[in-house]
Amino acid sequence: MKLKYLKTAIAVIVMLQVTACTDILDKDPVSSFSASGFYKTTADAQSGVYGIYDAAQSVFSYNFCYWGEGRADNVQTAQTGESLTLLSNNMTATASSADWSALYRMISRANYAIRYIPDVYEEDNATGKQLIGQARALRALAYFYVARVWGDAPFITEPYTSGDQDIFISKSGKEVILDQVEEDLKYAAANCVDKFNSNNDRIMFTKGSANALLTQVYMWRHKYSEAVASSALVMSNSLYSLVAIADWGKIFSASYSKESIFEVGYNDTETNGLRILYAIGSYAIYTPSVKWKESIEEGDLREDFVYDMVPADPKAIWKYLGRGESDEVATPAKQNIVLTRLADIMLLRAEALNKIGGEANKTEALSLLNTIRVRAGLVPFDTEADAIAMYGDLESAILHERSVELCFEGHRWFDLVRTGRAISTMGPINGLSSEANLEWPVHQNSLNKNPNLAQNPFYN
Amino acid sequence: MKKKQANVIFRSDWGRKKPILLSGLVIMLTAVMTFSAAASASLTLQQKKVTGMVTDATSGEALPGVTIVIRGTTTGVASNPDGSYSIDVPSNSTVLQFTSVGYASQEVTVGSRTVINVAMQSDVTMIEELVVVGYGFKKKRDLTGSISSISAASLENAPVKDVLSALQGRASGVVVTSNSGAPGDGITVRVRGYSSLNSGNDPLYVIDGVPVESTSLTSLNGYDQHGLNPLADINPGDIESIEVLKDAASTAIYGSRAANGVVLITTRRGKEGKATVTLNYFSGISEITRHLGVLNAQQWRQVIIDTYKNLDRYNNATTPSEPHWTAIDSLNPMNNGDVDWQSVMYRKAWQHQVELGVQGGNESAKYAFSTSYLDQDGIFLASNYKRITSRLNTDFKVSDRITIGQNISFTNGKNNRINAGGTGNLSLVQSILVRPPIYSLTYPDGSPINYFNGKRNPVAMAEECTHLNVTNRVIGNQYLEYDIMKGLMFRTSLSIDYITMKEDEFYPTTVDYRAGYNWGAVRAITNMTWANENYLTYNTRLGESHEISAMAGFSMQDWKLETTGLDGLYFVSDNIRTLNGAGTISNQAVNRTDEHSMMSFFGRVTYNYKGKYLAEANLRADGSSRFGAENRFGYFPSASAAWRFSDESFADGLGFLTDGKLRLSIGQGGNESIPNYVSGGEFSIGTNYLTYSGAAPTVMPNQALKWEVTTQYNLGIDLSMFNNRVSFIGDFYIKNTSDLLFAVPIPETTGFGYLTQNIGDISNKGMEFSVITHNIDNEFQWTTSLNIGFNKNMVVDLPDDVLTNGYIQNGTYHILQEGKPIGTFYGWKFLGVYSRDEDNVNDVRFGSSAGKPFIGGDPIWDDLNNDNVINDEDKQIIGDAQPIFAGGLNNDFSYKNFSLNVFLQFCYGNDIYSNLNSMRNWVFAYNNVSTDALNRWREQGDVTDYPAPVRNDPKRNEYLRVSDRWVEDGSYMRLKNVTLSYTIPSALTTRAGISRLRAYVTGQNLLTFTHYTGYDPEVNSYSGLQVGVDDGAYPQSRTIIFGLNMEF
Repeated sequence: MKLKYLKTAIAVIVMLQVTACTDILDKDPVSSFSASGFYKTTADAQSGVYGIYDAAQSVFSYNFCYWGEGRADNVQTAQTGESLTLLSNNMTATASSADWSALYRMISRANYAIRYIPDVYEEDNATGKQLIGQARALRALAYFYVARVWGDAPFITEPYTSGDQDIFISKSGKEVILDQVEEDLKYAAANCVDKFNSNNDRIMFTKGSANALLTQVYMWRHKYSEAVASSALVMSNSLYSLVAIADWGKIFSASYSKESIFEVGYNDTETNGLRILYAIGSYAIYTPSVKWKESIEEGDLREDFVYDMVPADPKAIWKYLGRGESDEVATPAKQNIVLTRLADIMLLRAEALNKIGGEANKTEALSLLNTIRVRAGLVPFDTEADAIAMYGDLESAILHERSVELCFEGHRWFDLVRTGRAISTMGPINGLSSEANLEWPVHQNSLNKNPNLAQNPFYN
Repeated sequence: MKKKQANVIFRSDWGRKKPILLSGLVIMLTAVMTFSAAASASLTLQQKKVTGMVTDATSGEALPGVTIVIRGTTTGVASNPDGSYSIDVPSNSTVLQFTSVGYASQEVTVGSRTVINVAMQSDVTMIEELVVVGYGFKKKRDLTGSISSISAASLENAPVKDVLSALQGRASGVVVTSNSGAPGDGITVRVRGYSSLNSGNDPLYVIDGVPVESTSLTSLNGYDQHGLNPLADINPGDIESIEVLKDAASTAIYGSRAANGVVLITTRRGKEGKATVTLNYFSGISEITRHLGVLNAQQWRQVIIDTYKNLDRYNNATTPSEPHWTAIDSLNPMNNGDVDWQSVMYRKAWQHQVELGVQGGNESAKYAFSTSYLDQDGIFLASNYKRITSRLNTDFKVSDRITIGQNISFTNGKNNRINAGGTGNLSLVQSILVRPPIYSLTYPDGSPINYFNGKRNPVAMAEECTHLNVTNRVIGNQYLEYDIMKGLMFRTSLSIDYITMKEDEFYPTTVDYRAGYNWGAVRAITNMTWANENYLTYNTRLGESHEISAMAGFSMQDWKLETTGLDGLYFVSDNIRTLNGAGTISNQAVNRTDEHSMMSFFGRVTYNYKGKYLAEANLRADGSSRFGAENRFGYFPSASAAWRFSDESFADGLGFLTDGKLRLSIGQGGNESIPNYVSGGEFSIGTNYLTYSGAAPTVMPNQALKWEVTTQYNLGIDLSMFNNRVSFIGDFYIKNTSDLLFAVPIPETTGFGYLTQNIGDISNKGMEFSVITHNIDNEFQWTTSLNIGFNKNMVVDLPDDVLTNGYIQNGTYHILQEGKPIGTFYGWKFLGVYSRDEDNVNDVRFGSSAGKPFIGGDPIWDDLNNDNVINDEDKQIIGDAQPIFAGGLNNDFSYKNFSLNVFLQFCYGNDIYSNLNSMRNWVFAYNNVSTDALNRWREQGDVTDYPAPVRNDPKRNEYLRVSDRWVEDGSYMRLKNVTLSYTIPSALTTRAGISRLRAYVTGQNLLTFTHYTGYDPEVNSYSGLQVGVDDGAYPQSRTIIFGLNMEF
């Protein structure tokens, strides 16, 4: 009898265990989320978007400079390695700036956010739409660089959530990519917030910063009237105004200025490459080129903010780390990297107006240019003829102004390329001669990992 | 003896035996004759009664329970408690077989006698009669799989400080490599080679039925690639036996974790009888086995001057560049030292261990208690390991049918480590070899030089930095066994393995170049595993000859790992090392929980026909939380059979053969060693934007992930010959692993770097032999055992889309390539040194056709594709880190109360990539170099194999160039252990109440025969697949130990 009970008891215990534990095998991550199950709450949606900005931090840490300045005439280098490779136009498929991984990581995070945030919010919820707007603006920012640096490239707008998806994507045309960039930015310009009423106005996408980026895109695509329209929205935005020349240096060294439209935020623990690029003792990667220094007009008040004018051969660029910054300290830089600011948009607008032509447009273009010149302590051009006398034509005058005003901010190379001046400018310096060479090579690692990817023509 | 019988009985019944005769094999003739003897015996009818006594030949005491059987029949009796027996025999020609566990069988022909007294000789080869297998025991005789057993006796001979070292050289097919010589450091165990591409190549460890955590949990900053040995928490003194399950028939019952073999560790349990108290003590001293040659101050200065001269030649400089004159100024008080840093940093180190055990019990309760304390200094300054262990194993018979019991062990380990691993300035082993000899320990005023000229003071690094690892671990197991009815038994157990580990790290201001800069880190790790196992076993006999047993069970296991940690900078003082003293808490904060669980069903059926035909089948179904819902369960079957051909009639004539068995098995095991959450993908937090908490997808999901499966075939033979004087075990195996789990690099355009997939195949083929011979067996005894395992590992298949240039780069030094083994080194081939500039007749250049040409003093690299450019395309296979064979040779001698054990261990055919040699022959900054540099190229026309040292190494002659210059033969044979012991006659000790007193002296690592030029060929700086790299691991030591074993 006793035996029977025991048997029954054991049988019951075993049964209970078997049934109780069918769930034991469902283990979701505790300190992270499973990829498909992340976007559940509004807080998740918000952190997913911050995660894209986090990717942007690593994208631009060094590469804003390698991509935007490294192949152009404003910098020189005493170093070997990436900087010399770029400046001497000797890039091969192993150049570090040819690696697009960080950009696509940013795109992947954005694709996740764009795909899953709509599941969290009611349709037409403004918060949801502004978050999607930020995600789309960030994706546009990444693809804008992809298209400008490599030209045709893999174009992916859906998140990877399963091993069944095709991962070996071949290239799409750069115009297809740029169409999507415009599409995304238009959505952002319509749905992002007007302002956050905090420093976030400068480091997160708002309507204003989406329009500013859109202006850059239009200028790249030579869509001048669209650029005039979008820049007008930026200029009328009360968030942005030019700072006084005394505060010009602080735009970069202190960040969050009222002139700034969009900058990638960094701090003490999330640092970037500015120190190593521009200001670390005799080891700084870049210093101002002789040609650039000679191009500065007499009495330009900005020059002193940019580098130490006392030695013949300055060892550093002060612009970001601050004037007189001791370059012996190895603390990594925490300054934000400004990707666009009002002066940039004003000068782009001037360029666009000049391209469209016509009396009124030319006048406004000249006035925009003069606003920047006057702030820098230079004499304004009274007429277009003054500008022509000095720089050959108005566009050249504007481009020169951009080269000084926006020096080392990662605009110069793209200005040269989009205005068709890259070969004429760089040819004498490093022998650049082929249109196809304007694009970067696809990195060898990317080619190795994707059989459907072809190297860019020049590098074959 | 058998021959004699053959003569007597030539008149057998031919007709009945015809079928066998018809086989016509001459060799069988004798067998037939012998068989006939038994047959004829049964034909004669002269029944009578035989009586007698059975005693132990050594002690003379009566032996109860000895089986006495009439040969050729199943008629038999057992001896009574007083050793007496009585049996009816059919005739005078009857042969009686006397058998008992632990004794050699005897056969006696009755003849005319009616009283036959037998003295049974204990049989050394029979000691391990029972073997622990997964979920049960088995008679060694009846094994159908491949299992290596190591008994407590062999452990006593060689006092080891951890379980895994006890395995080294003692189990065929098991390659054990200490990753370094640091106390408590990681050990790599590979059973029958590498079967996986991820790091899951470790066997499963099961202690008293509890699957225990065996992966290193240490989580500090990652400079230490080889981890700690979690099994160092087990006191080897507690071990009764270790079984290594090797083939699929033996391992498949552990299913998903069985592909790499299973190590079963059984601890001592109490036995019925008076309490025995054991007290063991040993004390030993260790020292480094060799110093490596480095240059003295004067030789070093000349090298530094040469590096500048050579750079000038490279650059065709018109004005010679100036060396750092103070560095080569022998009169400068900062630079006038001549220090042999190895002598400063290595020391003679003491170790002590004391161990107390009490065991005993009665019919209803048994206990075994032990506690031990180990204090071991490392040979490197300031390293020390202390361990306290305690264990209590109990068994209670609650009723006739129910037994309950408990094993509980506690370990406290405290490891004061030094940073020996890795590369660079923080790694001590390497940094003292390259530290310029000219640096003094102190300034002229006597104050210590801490940070100077880019070099940290190694003494301060060892003595003032903190690398403390404190582990507390409880392994507990409670069980209940219930005899439901005859043959049917139920067992349930609940076990836990709970580890807490705290790690502290601190680098004071004195070792940093930044003023006031110190940093520290703390990590707290908790690992909790629980397991519940339940199974029923059933044994029965059908008729006289068929024995059937079955087992079925169910288990659950759950793991939870929690890691918490913070890093801090700018502490107020070097004396406050807890993080409340930190000025800045860096954002290296860690707080993470990882979970994993399994649920399994398993069963086994065995069949045994008279011990002659044996068969077994296993099946386990494992479900793991690591796989997607569709692929969660894996099914792992195995089947095996054995044939004891020595019981066949034809074998009777093979007089030398005592026992012979053929074994055949096939089965599957799995591997689930992937991170916990890869199938569902992972969204990680901590991807913050300034102060805003971000989250981002970091692991790409792959719901299709499934088990990695290893199918193994095993053919084995067990032979015992000349009355068990010679026994031989041989095994041949083929292990094929498919659906390899591998983190495949995928296009970055996905946003992810890797996707874990099931890809490719690996195979291991090999053979293992072990031979034990009792060479001399009288008052002087000599036993030899040899084991040796050959393994050939090969990556059979990798999908094309994961390959780059036909291979996968595996870390810095290795590649994975189809047709090549894991551990294949890949780099440039060094052919010699250009004697003169003009010897470079093909104008071979560095890097590209526009690169600098190689000139006199430069290495001649093999230009594989003959394009006169030395670049990545000239890389080739330059070595293989896996041994062709490895094994051990053990000799035991005993004479009266003396015994001597001599244990040789060997490993042959493996290459070592000595990154250490690469680093210490590369003149970087003012680093010292090896004495090989004395043969360096100095001027045009010099013929040497040592290139000219060039400042900054512009052609990467040494730095970062993986080349066969640093690949060396890692084969070695080592006198691993010599123990001489003397047991004081008990007559002398009993008066002091001591029943056994043994004193011994042991030498470990006394001699090593090798061509390897590093500290020691037994080295493995990286766990995982980067096999056989010497990054400057903490060196092995030579140790002399004196010890006492006492029993009261």
